[in-house]
Amino acid sequence: MTHVITAPRKRTVLSTALWLATGAAMAGCMDFGDIEQPLQLETHVDDWRNEIIYQVLVDRFSNGDPSNDHGVRFDDLARYQGGDWRGLRDRLDYLDQLGVTTLWISPVVRNVETDANVDGYHGYWAQDLRDTNPHFGTISELRELVDDAHSRGMKIVVDIVTNHVGQAFYYDLNLNGVPDINIQGSGTPESPTLHYTEYDPDFDPRGVQAFTSLGEAGPAPAVFQYDPATGHLPPSPDPLGDPAAYNRKGRTFNFDDPDQLVHGDFPGGLKDLDTSRCDVKQMMVDVFVEWVEQTDIDGFRIDTVKHVEYEFWRFFTQQVRARLAERGKNNFLMFGEVFDGRDALLGAYTRHDIYGPADLAGFLGQPAAADPSDEEQLAAESACVQGGEALRGDQLDSLFYFSQHFAAIREVYQQGQSTDRIEQLWANRAVNWGDTPNQDGVGVAPRDLPINFIDNHDVPRFLYELRKRPASESQALLHNAILFTFAAQGVPCLYYGTEQGLAGGNDPANRERLWDGGYDVTHPTFGWIQRLARIRGEYASLRRGAVNVVWSSDHVGDEPDAGIFAFERIGGDAGGSYAVVVINSHQTHDSTTRTPDRAMEVSAPAGTEMIDVLSRGDLRVIVGDDGTLDVTVEPMQGVLLVPAAEYNDGI
Amino acid sequence: MHHSDLIAAVRRAAAPIALTLALASATASAEPSSDASTPAPADPSTPTSDPPDAPQLDALEHRIDALEKELAALRSAATRTPGPQPEPTPKRTPEPTPEPAKVGAPKPLPGKPTVTGAAAGDSLENRTPDYADGFHFGSYGRVVAGGDHRGRAARDADIVARGSRLDESNYAELELRREDYWKETGAYTRIVATMAFGSPIFHYNGQFAAKLGLRNLYIEESGLGLRNLKVWAGSRMYRGDDIYLLDFWPLDNLNTVGGGLTYEFIPNLVLRLHSGINQPDNAFFVQDVSRPRPLGQIGAATVRVTDRQKSISSAKLSHIFKVGASGGIKPSLYGEFHYVPSAQRERETSQYENLPDDVGFTVGTQLGMFTGKRSSHLNLVFRYSGGLAAYGEFNAPTRLSPQRDSKGARELLFAASGNYEVGPFGVLLGAYLRSFRNASAGLDVDDLDEGIVVARPTVWFGKIAGLSLEGSYQAQRRGVLIPQSNGGLKPQFGQVGRLGLVPFLTPAGRGNYARPHLRLLYVLTMRDAGAQRLYTSDDVFAIRKVDHFIGLGAEWWFGSTSYFRD
Repeated sequence: MTHVITAPRKRTVLSTALWLATGAAMAGCMDFGDIEQPLQLETHVDDWRNEIIYQVLVDRFSNGDPSNDHGVRFDDLARYQGGDWRGLRDRLDYLDQLGVTTLWISPVVRNVETDANVDGYHGYWAQDLRDTNPHFGTISELRELVDDAHSRGMKIVVDIVTNHVGQAFYYDLNLNGVPDINIQGSGTPESPTLHYTEYDPDFDPRGVQAFTSLGEAGPAPAVFQYDPATGHLPPSPDPLGDPAAYNRKGRTFNFDDPDQLVHGDFPGGLKDLDTSRCDVKQMMVDVFVEWVEQTDIDGFRIDTVKHVEYEFWRFFTQQVRARLAERGKNNFLMFGEVFDGRDALLGAYTRHDIYGPADLAGFLGQPAAADPSDEEQLAAESACVQGGEALRGDQLDSLFYFSQHFAAIREVYQQGQSTDRIEQLWANRAVNWGDTPNQDGVGVAPRDLPINFIDNHDVPRFLYELRKRPASESQALLHNAILFTFAAQGVPCLYYGTEQGLAGGNDPANRERLWDGGYDVTHPTFGWIQRLARIRGEYASLRRGAVNVVWSSDHVGDEPDAGIFAFERIGGDAGGSYAVVVINSHQTHDSTTRTPDRAMEVSAPAGTEMIDVLSRGDLRVIVGDDGTLDVTVEPMQGVLLVPAAEYNDGI
Repeated sequence: MHHSDLIAAVRRAAAPIALTLALASATASAEPSSDASTPAPADPSTPTSDPPDAPQLDALEHRIDALEKELAALRSAATRTPGPQPEPTPKRTPEPTPEPAKVGAPKPLPGKPTVTGAAAGDSLENRTPDYADGFHFGSYGRVVAGGDHRGRAARDADIVARGSRLDESNYAELELRREDYWKETGAYTRIVATMAFGSPIFHYNGQFAAKLGLRNLYIEESGLGLRNLKVWAGSRMYRGDDIYLLDFWPLDNLNTVGGGLTYEFIPNLVLRLHSGINQPDNAFFVQDVSRPRPLGQIGAATVRVTDRQKSISSAKLSHIFKVGASGGIKPSLYGEFHYVPSAQRERETSQYENLPDDVGFTVGTQLGMFTGKRSSHLNLVFRYSGGLAAYGEFNAPTRLSPQRDSKGARELLFAASGNYEVGPFGVLLGAYLRSFRNASAGLDVDDLDEGIVVARPTVWFGKIAGLSLEGSYQAQRRGVLIPQSNGGLKPQFGQVGRLGLVPFLTPAGRGNYARPHLRLLYVLTMRDAGAQRLYTSDDVFAIRKVDHFIGLGAEWWFGSTSYFRD
């Protein structure tokens, strides 16, 4: 049957078609939220001492988007595993529940994809400083992560590297135009065996030298590799694609040689930038300020600080602070990694003294010629500033407290050595670290803001060294170390997986996939951290109080105070809040704060009742008439005493 | 008069103008369409004589209309007695013009003595009238010699998925077909084998190699058991109307190995059902691993761990409403269902992970309107796909959901095409707006909104030549953000404008769907910075804002099932 359509039906058809077209157009809109517009930067942090940092190795934390699982190799922890920013965003509830407030995420920039069968999953092999690492997501997904975190009151700190880029070029030592890894010579005295790699040759203070059969042939050309499939491309942006932007002296093998330390390539062929060049300094400021402008992140964790000149840090930190302050962003935290146990070396990057190469040599125990005067040095450095203020002495806001990691975490809380080293360490910090807040900085002196950590991605996990101990003991020791980092002055910083009892050894074994464990919120360590976070949030003294060591001991044996380390959190910016922390690191016996010839004097008035928060009030002690406090603590345990007037029995 | 004779009479009458009066349209594309509202091309083999003037054309056209009505009535009387007399059918796509007269009937095949071919005068009720039995050949093809103004090879400069076809590369389909009528059952059999060749071709690179695909390999039976039923099985490209200017089938375009049926309930009310499978060469569907050979043998054998096929089913219901003497409106409803079963794949050696099953669907509708004269028509298409179907029938899903399936993926499409011809003028139109989101939660580079509008006005000079001007605008937005100098971020958005000039020779006469064409091509392409960003660094399209394409080419189509509608 054939029908003849009428005019009204034509109109119906037409209107339906228009409706469908409109629907199609509307449904097709891309929802980027509000991130299409220039971002209005905001200050999301009142006081960094209130924060608890959680270090996230993005590739290992959570895989929320399998669509970006390019080249994932689950059988090899040296390769990408699939974690991404979407996964982290999906797990913010887990982190909220844990009680952490700031997420330090691994570098976000595009990396060399893979090199020598290891991937750039960690993020420290930059190839393009302006592009996101596609394994982790897009710039919009990073923005969404930051936005979601901020909506929960959490902050995001991004890891950055200014010292080096990835394996970008090779030194053409034999001038044959191709990269070689060679063994040369027959091993006789007349023909010694020479084993060399053009990717990562040894340091040469003259610059890496080429050679021919006739002998040395001058500086070896630095030849950028070009292999898009593995991401071996000239780094970007300019001037990173110019060999002149690099020191080209070869691989550091003596970290106590200041020239090698600052100008050598980082082992693994990571090419060292000439960070004394004005264009390199300015580029670093520009690109990393752009990341803040595009994402509203709250801070930088800065890698390999001691491998970069002091003058760079003065320029970088001051220029970044000034640029962000213009955009309304204050309290932007910049803390660095100085992987070293020498506290004076660490502290030098937080002081306002005008340090130079000779000072660095001094910290490393090496002789050196005198530096120019401070005025001359600053004048020279200020020549790099484009129309801004002259540079000052300001540097980093804080440091990853590596000296404490070695002296306290490893030696005391892991190995049971004497606690007096902690007292000495803290006393040194008061001298070594900067005592003045940086202009436009976080408002707290660096010495009052160390970043306290137990372990991280560069060292074996705490539990790894205790792997032969019974689980109950290793866990107790870990919990004691966590208590120490949460109660000490500064900002506690947890490495992901600590809350799940991960126990991996050296890199990459300490970079486990967290999702394999299922994010168990009933894990005892998860619960311990969760509780300590609440306690820290409740008592201002634990966050902002100054510190006063009231007991340490050089005893490690049967002595009654062996293993005791006690300190007050008092004064500072904590108002009247007060706490006494007593931790027994001895691994076999109870220890006490009273010995035949000594008692623990505290600042609390005589007669003050102190209640142990950790035992939920089971332990109550009174400050004696002589101002002393007697506390006995079981092995591998601690107490956290607050005045009865402050005590909150709900935690 | 027997209706086969009637048809012959019509053809004889129409022969001088057969090409310019193509009764309905056909698409002329890589693989032209087979549905009603898009016209089919005339058979270029039909000779032409002196050109008629306009009144003659009108008179002939009216005569053809009248004869076709008579034909329809006769056909109905012969096949539907008793029963209601159908109204005259609207002018449908023209049947292919007669092939050269057959010489005798096919010989019965050995062992099948009941099989004989249809001789002249046999009943042809259930098939394209006047269609000869035996072997047939049909083809679509296009060949172009050209390049840019600096001599670089020709290359598609569109940024949207389906853009202007003026700079498409060489492509040809060669169809071999066998048609038989079986006296004993009254059924008709069609066996189709279509080979397709892609670029490059031998005279371009001198290589004895071909990019060859078998686009059709199936048998279709008509009138076997039920007079209005057709069934088919095999490998088939299965599609409806296209947008010629974009080489695009917006509503339905499936490539599977399977089968289907077509049933005409009443004249012009047709239901098409189909189901088939395919298995794209992708890790989503297949994974081969190496294992030691069994029984102590040395060496390795390949074992297929993941081995799953995609099954696709489709349904399409169409009806033609007559409007006026020759026009009509054809609404269609369309749906697809896609399914992939669950499977396992090896993550690490001997460690497996489960892949969930996956589904997808498509719903769509098309509204076709045609005048029945000079291929004038307008088609509007709306289509929505979800899950697996959003990626298309022949693609493996990418950027999956966290559950490693395609849930959440979607594609929304609105498309339009049309043609209008009057006197020595004609204009072809095409446009679509498409929004695609993959299954991953966030926006990424594969998420996009895009659209194009293209128009090709043509003027014919006499009957042998013409000049087309093609203008198009296309734009595409991707799900990535581009940093701005002010610190902000803007979505990646690219635009391209194109202007083409095509003088051509047309031995088949006037008509936007008349082929073959011998033609010269010039296309000016202008792209903005956003469009340049879509290309890799050092690609000339990333460097150039303006391109000039200059070419000489040919395009033809004739006699293949792609143009049939029965």
